[in-house]
Amino acid sequence: MTDISRRAVLGVVGVGAVAGLTASWPRLTGSDIPGRGTDALNVAILGTSQDAASRAGLVQAFNAKFPHIPVRILAIQGADWSDFFAKILTMVAAGTPPDVVVVATEGAQLFADRLAAPLDDYVTKDAEAMSDYFSDVHPALIESFMYKGHLFQLPIDFNAANMYFNLGTLSKAGLELPSSTWTVDDFLSTARAMKKSSGGGPFVSYYWTNRLWGGVVPWLYINNTSFLTEEKSPGGDWLWNRFYAGDPAAKGRSGGYLWEHSNALAAPVEESFDVLRTIVREGLGTSPAQGGGNQLVAQFAGGSIGMTPAGGYWVEGLSEAGMAGKEYDVQFFPKMQSQKAQFGSSGYAIMKTSKRKDDAWEWVKFCVSREGMKLAFPTPNTTPTRRSMCNEALFGAKGPAHWKVFYDTLDTLPSAPIPAPPQQAAVETALIKNVSGAVTAGSRSAMQSNLRALDRDLTQALKIQA
Amino acid sequence: MTTVTKTPQATEPASASRDTAARTRRSERRLALVFLIPTVGGLALFTFIPIVGSLVLAFFKWDVISSPKFVGLSNFIDIVADGTVRRSFLNTILFVVTTVILQLSVALGLAALVQSKLPGWLRSIFRSVFFFPLILSAASVSIMMSYLFNQQFGLVNWLLGHIGIPAVPWLNSGPGAIVMVILVYVWQNFGFSFLLFLGGLASIPREVYEAAAIDGASGWRQFSRITLPLVSPTILVASVMAIIASLQIFDQPYVLTRGGPGDSTRTAVMVIYESAFQQLQFGRASAIGLVLTVLIMLVTAVQFRLSRRFVFYS
Repeated sequence: MTDISRRAVLGVVGVGAVAGLTASWPRLTGSDIPGRGTDALNVAILGTSQDAASRAGLVQAFNAKFPHIPVRILAIQGADWSDFFAKILTMVAAGTPPDVVVVATEGAQLFADRLAAPLDDYVTKDAEAMSDYFSDVHPALIESFMYKGHLFQLPIDFNAANMYFNLGTLSKAGLELPSSTWTVDDFLSTARAMKKSSGGGPFVSYYWTNRLWGGVVPWLYINNTSFLTEEKSPGGDWLWNRFYAGDPAAKGRSGGYLWEHSNALAAPVEESFDVLRTIVREGLGTSPAQGGGNQLVAQFAGGSIGMTPAGGYWVEGLSEAGMAGKEYDVQFFPKMQSQKAQFGSSGYAIMKTSKRKDDAWEWVKFCVSREGMKLAFPTPNTTPTRRSMCNEALFGAKGPAHWKVFYDTLDTLPSAPIPAPPQQAAVETALIKNVSGAVTAGSRSAMQSNLRALDRDLTQALKIQA
Repeated sequence: MTTVTKTPQATEPASASRDTAARTRRSERRLALVFLIPTVGGLALFTFIPIVGSLVLAFFKWDVISSPKFVGLSNFIDIVADGTVRRSFLNTILFVVTTVILQLSVALGLAALVQSKLPGWLRSIFRSVFFFPLILSAASVSIMMSYLFNQQFGLVNWLLGHIGIPAVPWLNSGPGAIVMVILVYVWQNFGFSFLLFLGGLASIPREVYEAAAIDGASGWRQFSRITLPLVSPTILVASVMAIIASLQIFDQPYVLTRGGPGDSTRTAVMVIYESAFQQLQFGRASAIGLVLTVLIMLVTAVQFRLSRRFVFYS
């Protein structure tokens, strides 16, 4: 029998506690948080660790040119861009902001207003190198990342809200792909024909999701309106005169968009909502589903959906779902008062707080170069902003016959970005929560009541100082 | 065999024995303190300090990026005037009332059924089956349910279609969405109350039922006059826990409906999240959190007050 004294037990416990404390010190002090206390350039992206790993080639190629700038890709998972931005803000609050962040149109003005550093000086300084980029990118995309006369991001990819057609359901209805100038009446007759020929199974002619991109907004844009007033900032001439002089598409471009007031009670807004109400009432389209439309790919590929708004990003997803390019096709959104198209874009923003802004600029510059963009987008899971990259090599094998529609949307139609002021999260919440009620309303007066609620909520949301 | 402590010798003089006892008490107090430090430290760091911070923040305007600005009661005035916040609290109260009643009724009913009718091995199986949803992630369950109850492509509407019932807008209509959030929440959470009730029912002596049966008491009379009173302490514990948990309902409405359609399934915690992390109004979020905390404390206090009348402890 061995006697173990209390002192010995306490000693062992104490040593154990010290050992445990030592082992968990990095966790307790937060020094194991990626990016903290290291010398790497931290680049935050929306995605999984696999998405970060897929950028290894990009990082390698960058480091071959800039071996003195180590890069760490921080993959931040989120259900949508709002979720991603919330997590970036949490990093800011925790004192560990990344140096560079991929920001989509939804957050462009929030970042420009509060978090991002303007790129004007860098772009001007590297004007020669940047000319190649600007000459290849539509000015509408650049304008969408300007805010109050300054440029805050260089767009790398975009997606316009185009209309995807399942060709099987279209031919079953005895129809062909509509022309590029088709109208809302054509859309309704197509949807009705699809519904009639579906045989009553689980089928919907038009599937849409209740969100800023591809939700109600394209229907407002084609009626030359929006739920927010759309104005433009003065300024930006330093960029347009230097890089887009002589480009007719750059004529009248500004220092960025301003969405400062609700426009929910405008008559054209009511008209567009009434079209959607008709679609829902006749059972031609779904009551809008909340969220990111994750269920969509399988249903579209399986022939349960006739039409849905999507962009170039969908080509890879459909291919992975086993749908060949010849089984579906794509066309512009139909025409109402106009055929103005909605798009969303994304690009790298350099954080104001970054102590490595020069290094960050080298990263941004590399990522928008031809080499960088080829490495970033090896598959058609988005539409690259460089016109020269939207080619047969990228979309030909897997994409639909009319894949050129993706970039032609910018080249041939008037277009505008997702309306996303600095108060985007509150604005999006206000929009989403009132859209369902408006489009499922039993009467026009009930719909108007929902639009009044939308107006009230938007006015409230826009009062928030972002 | 090992011994950890040495006991004082019985032959020691009384004063020495008192000294030893005092030393032991002091030493035990020190030891207790050492063991308490991690828990108290953790609670202070992750609970008390954030509570105090949140309390203070409720009187400030803060967006993470700029410095906080003192605004007095402005956040509280704003939330009282905000229809969405008011609706979210009403929704939360509706969810609490319905989910707690359903959760406790289903749990107690099933526990009584399992306890009285089933053999031991089958009881173990049911215990696991009913508890299983609780260990699943609420987000995963909600995503799965959103697929099942999708209006156009969900399995449930597909099955209903086969018996001639048209597609039900489970998640796209206000009443449907409220019912779905309640059902999904109850389905996932009743297992915990079920386990508590099984324990409570097992502690009721069998002889009481036998005596009641001899006196001619039927099944329902036995349940209402014996089971309910004797299991009432468990009902109190289960209801307090269920109410506190359901006042914080978030995952199910956030994933299933994002608070919609309109504000019909938006809850208080959802508004806290949206205010803080989407709209960067951390002061406002703290003010809403503070109101919710006061509500939870009030409800719990009322419950304990009522328990004096309705809970049978002997």
